[in-house]
Amino acid sequence: MIAYLSNLATQVAIFGILAATLNFILGYAGIFSIAHAVFFGLGAYAGAQIALLLVPDVVLACIVAAAIAGGLSLCLALPALRVRGEYFVAASLGLQMVAVTLFSELKPLTGGIGGLVGIPLPTLFGVPVGVLPVALAALALILLATALLARGSFGRTLTAIRDAESAAEALGKNVAAAKTLAVGFACAGAGVAGALYALHTSFVNVESFTMDYSVLMMAMVIIGGTGTLWGPLIGTVLLLSLPAALAFLPFLPATEVGAVQQIIIGLAMTLLMIFRPAGLVGDLSRGQTTA
Amino acid sequence: MNDAPTIRRRGLVAAGLSLPFIRSAAAQQASGEPYVMGTLFPMSGPNAEYGEAFTRGAQLALSHIAADNMLRRPIRLQAEDSQALPQPSVVGMNKLVNVDRAVWVLVSWTASSKAVAPIGDRAKVIMVNGGAVGPDLSGLSPYFWNVIALAHLEVPVLVDYLTRHRNVKRMALVYVDDPLGDAILGQLRTELPKAGGQLVGSFSVPRAAQQFGPVAARVRQTRPDAVYIASFGAQQSQIIKGLRDNGVTQILCSYSAFSIDSVRQLPEAVGALYTTQKLDFESGDPITRRFAADFRARYNQTPVAYHANYYNAAYLFGLLARQLEQANEEVNGESLRQAMLRTRTFDLVGGRGTFDDQGNLMTQMQVNEIKGAGRTEIVQG
Amino acid sequence: MLFLQLLINGLQTGAIYALTAAGFALIFGATRIFHFAHGTAFTLAGYAFLFAWRADWPGWAGVLVAVAAATLFGMAMERFVYRPIQRHEGSFFTVFVAAFGVGIVVQNLIGLFAGRGLATVDTPLSFGTEVLPEIFVAPILWIAIGTAAVLFAALTVFLTRSHAGVALRALAQNPDLIRTYGLSANGLSVLAFAIGSALAAPAAIITAMTSGLNEAIGHQVMLISIAATIVGGIGSLRGAALAGLMLGVAESLALQFVDTQWAEAVSFLVLFAFILFRPSGIFGVAAAR
Repeated sequence: MIAYLSNLATQVAIFGILAATLNFILGYAGIFSIAHAVFFGLGAYAGAQIALLLVPDVVLACIVAAAIAGGLSLCLALPALRVRGEYFVAASLGLQMVAVTLFSELKPLTGGIGGLVGIPLPTLFGVPVGVLPVALAALALILLATALLARGSFGRTLTAIRDAESAAEALGKNVAAAKTLAVGFACAGAGVAGALYALHTSFVNVESFTMDYSVLMMAMVIIGGTGTLWGPLIGTVLLLSLPAALAFLPFLPATEVGAVQQIIIGLAMTLLMIFRPAGLVGDLSRGQTTA
Repeated sequence: MNDAPTIRRRGLVAAGLSLPFIRSAAAQQASGEPYVMGTLFPMSGPNAEYGEAFTRGAQLALSHIAADNMLRRPIRLQAEDSQALPQPSVVGMNKLVNVDRAVWVLVSWTASSKAVAPIGDRAKVIMVNGGAVGPDLSGLSPYFWNVIALAHLEVPVLVDYLTRHRNVKRMALVYVDDPLGDAILGQLRTELPKAGGQLVGSFSVPRAAQQFGPVAARVRQTRPDAVYIASFGAQQSQIIKGLRDNGVTQILCSYSAFSIDSVRQLPEAVGALYTTQKLDFESGDPITRRFAADFRARYNQTPVAYHANYYNAAYLFGLLARQLEQANEEVNGESLRQAMLRTRTFDLVGGRGTFDDQGNLMTQMQVNEIKGAGRTEIVQG
Repeated sequence: MLFLQLLINGLQTGAIYALTAAGFALIFGATRIFHFAHGTAFTLAGYAFLFAWRADWPGWAGVLVAVAAATLFGMAMERFVYRPIQRHEGSFFTVFVAAFGVGIVVQNLIGLFAGRGLATVDTPLSFGTEVLPEIFVAPILWIAIGTAAVLFAALTVFLTRSHAGVALRALAQNPDLIRTYGLSANGLSVLAFAIGSALAAPAAIITAMTSGLNEAIGHQVMLISIAATIVGGIGSLRGAALAGLMLGVAESLALQFVDTQWAEAVSFLVLFAFILFRPSGIFGVAAAR
């Protein structure tokens, strides 16, 4: 049971990092990306290759993953600078779809659909280490960074951009730089999560980085509450533990188990949104329409 | 004083209630705690059709094991939904291994299998695959076995049949570019020239692709005598229909993935050929005939290779655990593996099969032809 | 010759994309709701037709059932999911998650009740015959193109000539104005969902006959609809339809030049490029900034 819970906790920590970083661009900067799984994937491939080719050092893997994902975040920052709202959603969608094709085709780097197997267990400066403590530490760091950034002048610039971009520009805020930095930070964080995921499961392939996962991360943030510090984490816990908990229902016939679980999860998502549209910890009064 | 009758009554009720539990606990001691056999199949999402088929095969095997009193302890089947994706598979496998304490897990799907193999390896839990045939599933772990013939056994048999009996010289391949598709491409490239044929075109399609009219146009251009399809799930039916609707009239063929119902019921698939391990439900050995008869009776459906594979995957546990019980050995992953390596050859559905050192079952192959309305015929056994 | 064949295949696919995209664009244009469950309406319509077909109902009855299924679903979504959400905070992604949840539920219900795996409507209409050397055309091509053309003509007439149609267009531009004229914005919103969802039904029926249905088929439909709406320019029905047609043709013609595995990526590269270089789309009125 302990091993089971520790695996679940590791996954929560990894997806918590993803949700927290996605929340950073979505909740604070208003950049609606459905391509977060792309950067998760980039980090996972980077981390896996480092572990396979050099050493399975968890810190090194995370740093390289963050650098690669953060560097390639320009692919996302570029449309973010040009368009907003639904247009950006569609742009990130395009990026997501193209990236999945690339992940499946660039076999030397990603192993194609077959993926990369036999990723060695992680070490820290030569000493074997579990992924869970590292993931928890990374999650704490990212939450701390989010809290600090959101409270500081950078955060104020971002919220200004979210609420009224042209006004922020008129006030002399460097909108382009702020957006690029925010996207870079979020994507680098996703990269770290990717590296941890690769070291945790010892196997990565493109099926973990599809649009479905981008949508899942999105759902974690929205269900928890956008623009809040703890909301995304709560959303993550809920969306990961709900299927896990449903797996303990004893009375389901073996052939219907998956469908019934999925129906419950889907219903929960819809009902939550109808009755708590601002998320579980979100502020209901904020942004209420005057109608 | 007044309270006494109430208390007594309550006590009686409690005793009455607990009686069945006491009895069941005693019964449990006699037969022991049940063995837990896990299944990790896609039970939701686009590949759920497979999960349903796999589960049926396993369920039939468990009822046979129970009916024959093969084991002293009962077996409990614990199903987890893998969604055919790595991440849910890892969660499900962790639950099976650490919470349910499963000693034997039936797995499927390449990515799912690869993701859970390290977990089973560390916990020394036997994982048996009877669905995926990618060559990359061989040797994943000493505890990871395959009861299905992997792709490298399927292609030569088909090429031999096509070139000899159907006068096929030129073949085209429509495939998903995963390790399986890759292996089939490689096999066709080497096997066809040996048999006097040639691979005239290969077309990789994205896994999510749905429209195959344009691909059919490209296939027609290569003027093939036969088209090999290496995909699975709903997509392979779409490829068959897309090719047939768009002027590809030549022979269609594939590996064991064609043995699901949605392909065998597809009108466009009539005449298509596919390989499976040897399975003769009518005139085969008694084990195979019993399996086929009971399967039809229970599910009102003619069994296919997948049902047989997971029947075998589950039945194999019965055979090995019986051996261990008789020798008064503990039944765990390690002892089961030793028992398998000691025995090697088993009488299973389809006939006698032998495991190699890596835990891959070697069986004889046959070529099947789809006759329409769910019927198939063995054209080369 | 390959070019002509690919063009024909592309037109057939494109007509389907155009119909679903137009429905999505109509809903989005009028209500500003990004209707992510549009693909679900498509799936329901397809399966409704399939059931009618399997029950040996006449074709027209099947079409009616399919249209009814899609329309009712669209209206129910508006009334029971989107409207309560919008009463609070009409956040774009709240709608997204809610619609996505509905999609999961419907997909799995279909899996439970309609059986899993691919299901097709078996008809000779989808069977291609060689009309010119090396050119195969199925009767369904003419049906697809004809249906799309007729429906667009009808839709154009409706939007420009009828009161309700004009009001719908006005709703897109200024919801407050609608209220001052004493029209019900809610009623118009339901109307938009009804018509938009109904447009998905013919596309679903044609798909059931050609490439077949599975529980998850709505997913791709939704993606293409979104892409086409953006490429066509938000608010332009004509643009969305044309873009849908174009995406279908591009996906098919791409095979003339690239290997088959890249076909899908082509559509989305087109989308990505459009957003970067011409964010207002083909017929877009104003830039998106």
